Amino acid sequence: MLWLYLHFPHLLLDHIRRHQTSTGALAIVDGAGHFVVQACPTARNLGIETGMRLKTALGLAPDLNIMRADPKQEAWLLEDQARWLYHYAAHITLAPPDGIWAEVSSLQKLYGGLPAIWQTVEQALTERQLNAWVAIGHTPSAARLLAHTGKGECTADKGHILNAVGKLPLLTAGFDKKSSTRLQRLGLNTLGEVFALPAAELARRLSPELLVIVQKIQGTRADPKAPWQPPHTFRQRADFLQEVEHSQGLLFSLQRILAELEEDLCWRQQDTDTLRLVLQHRHEEPTRLRIRTTGPEHRAEVFLKLIRLKLDQHPLRAPVTGLILAVKRFTGREAPIGQDLLGETQDLNEAWHTLISRLQARLGEQALKQLAPREDHRPECAWSASDVRKPGKPQKSGSGQLPHRPLWLLKGPRPLLQTPIAWHSGPERISGGWWDGQRVHRDYYIAQLPGGELAWVFRDVQDGWFIHGWFG
Amino acid sequence: MSELLSSLLQDARVWQGHQHRKTTQPAESTGYQVLDNQLGGLGWPRGALSECLLDTCGIGELHLVLPLMQRVSQEGKTIFWLNPPHTPYAPALAREGVSLDHLVMINTRDQDDFLWTLENCLRSPVTGLVLAWPGRLASRDIRRLQLASEAGGNVCVLFRSRREVDQNSPAALRLELVPGEHQDLQVNIIKRRGSWPGQLCSLALGHRADRAIKESSQVVQGPWSGVDR
Repeated sequence: MLWLYLHFPHLLLDHIRRHQTSTGALAIVDGAGHFVVQACPTARNLGIETGMRLKTALGLAPDLNIMRADPKQEAWLLEDQARWLYHYAAHITLAPPDGIWAEVSSLQKLYGGLPAIWQTVEQALTERQLNAWVAIGHTPSAARLLAHTGKGECTADKGHILNAVGKLPLLTAGFDKKSSTRLQRLGLNTLGEVFALPAAELARRLSPELLVIVQKIQGTRADPKAPWQPPHTFRQRADFLQEVEHSQGLLFSLQRILAELEEDLCWRQQDTDTLRLVLQHRHEEPTRLRIRTTGPEHRAEVFLKLIRLKLDQHPLRAPVTGLILAVKRFTGREAPIGQDLLGETQDLNEAWHTLISRLQARLGEQALKQLAPREDHRPECAWSASDVRKPGKPQKSGSGQLPHRPLWLLKGPRPLLQTPIAWHSGPERISGGWWDGQRVHRDYYIAQLPGGELAWVFRDVQDGWFIHGWFG
Repeated sequence: MSELLSSLLQDARVWQGHQHRKTTQPAESTGYQVLDNQLGGLGWPRGALSECLLDTCGIGELHLVLPLMQRVSQEGKTIFWLNPPHTPYAPALAREGVSLDHLVMINTRDQDDFLWTLENCLRSPVTGLVLAWPGRLASRDIRRLQLASEAGGNVCVLFRSRREVDQNSPAALRLELVPGEHQDLQVNIIKRRGSWPGQLCSLALGHRADRAIKESSQVVQGPWSGVDR
């Protein structure tokens, strides 16, 4: 078996830099905020180095942008990388905090050789503006060791790999401190010299654990890696060094995230209709926005338009420090229908979804309603309003059985103040609602008012006269 | 040059008072023969605004557009109701054969939203008919809507107050609606493209007050004053 290992030396740095338009000096500091852990090229040019005290670094570059490392965020980021790598390789294992294994021997036939795989991965890394050190090894441990040196080679030759690993200094091998000190006192400095020792002696004189590590590097002991499964959700975040005060500033990172979402959806062959956007603020509760399309959608530009509308409607409450875009609902993709060969006929179905989504994004989902009759004798209960759905197959309803009703219903009965000049029909007695406490006991008439309008009036059981509708 | 002129004449953009020509504007029949005749045999213009000016609801203004509503909803196009003054009553619409699946009711908060929504509805190819109750509209807003309407090519009917009769409007068709004596609707054409305005016709809308309920008048009209709830 052959393993490809990707080592991300400064993942957090890459992540932040790709969401920034301006490039200033940037450094990542450890959790306590004392030492520089990662520094960007601009910062390195200013003399800032990894492991330097933060105070020293600030002395060198007073306007240094500082970001604190967060183990949770790093775990998220690593999973993000695994997600795109999964597009290329099936058997992936995470090596927290900063590495990923991919099993590649089974892929050689698919890609046409190791160099092709190597090139594909390198290209994907460049597209995503990521820095990674890649190496191939015949065991997971060997691949990892080689990747950490940054001098990985594209080779399938076991002897060559072992040779390269053998040249590595002992300190990089990951032995415990006591063992490496003892080995050094024995006069051994490289891994190759340790490999040359007889295994039984090594276990007896040093420790069995050390032998396990050595054998795992050599490949004489099994080192199974459980395959990673991609999650069934999409989640991407962007962090801003400088707080973003205008929604326009968010669109740059959103564009990139949405492009990745589109790619992800295309790859899954799925669509979605709900995006969740969380805007994080420094001192306030995060703003949560829900962007809904009325129909399944996967195109980034459509999402971007809707988000832009939504952001226009909801101005930022406070400057934004970070944003998260998450998608949890997925639907299978349907083949587009009704398109002719040249694509000249407009897809009405799609146009309908676009229009309704646009309206809902600006007006709110409550503003759009669809009406339906309901089975109830009481006029105010005989209809219902629901959210807009795409009309399906037309249903034949027995419209003949419905009683004669006005086209306008008032929002509530209004007292009848004028004397009608003509009575046309009635009374129609409607009595009901004893079952839910909203009792109705009325006689309905159709009457013409002096203004010429036809009204649906009723006389209540308590002798009041009311208008309930207009025959529009 | 003459080609340009004749195309202008054909579109009824140049108004020739002495000539009553059949124009070739796209239009939808109103479903009332009397009114269609007065409108040059065409009906509601497509790709242009129509205005109905009326004092109050309940004079048959919805019945005026009902035949069109039935046709549009059966064609599978969407009907938008923008800011209706009352609730369109679903059972009555279903009874009249309007497919409720194709009916979308929209309420907007302010005038900006209203104009934006109306414009979007008008420009969309899925729209068949837009019924809108705009309240007060500035002349330049109507012009904006008229342009959107031309882009979309569907029928848009604005219901406005009769006070706006004197305001000039870029709408292609303006009808003044007045209730008649016998439940009929007097339609006064204030403006139309391609011919003289001023025609008056009367639509009998007696079926609004349905006679079918007559049978139920045999119900004993009980004195209820003594009944306790």
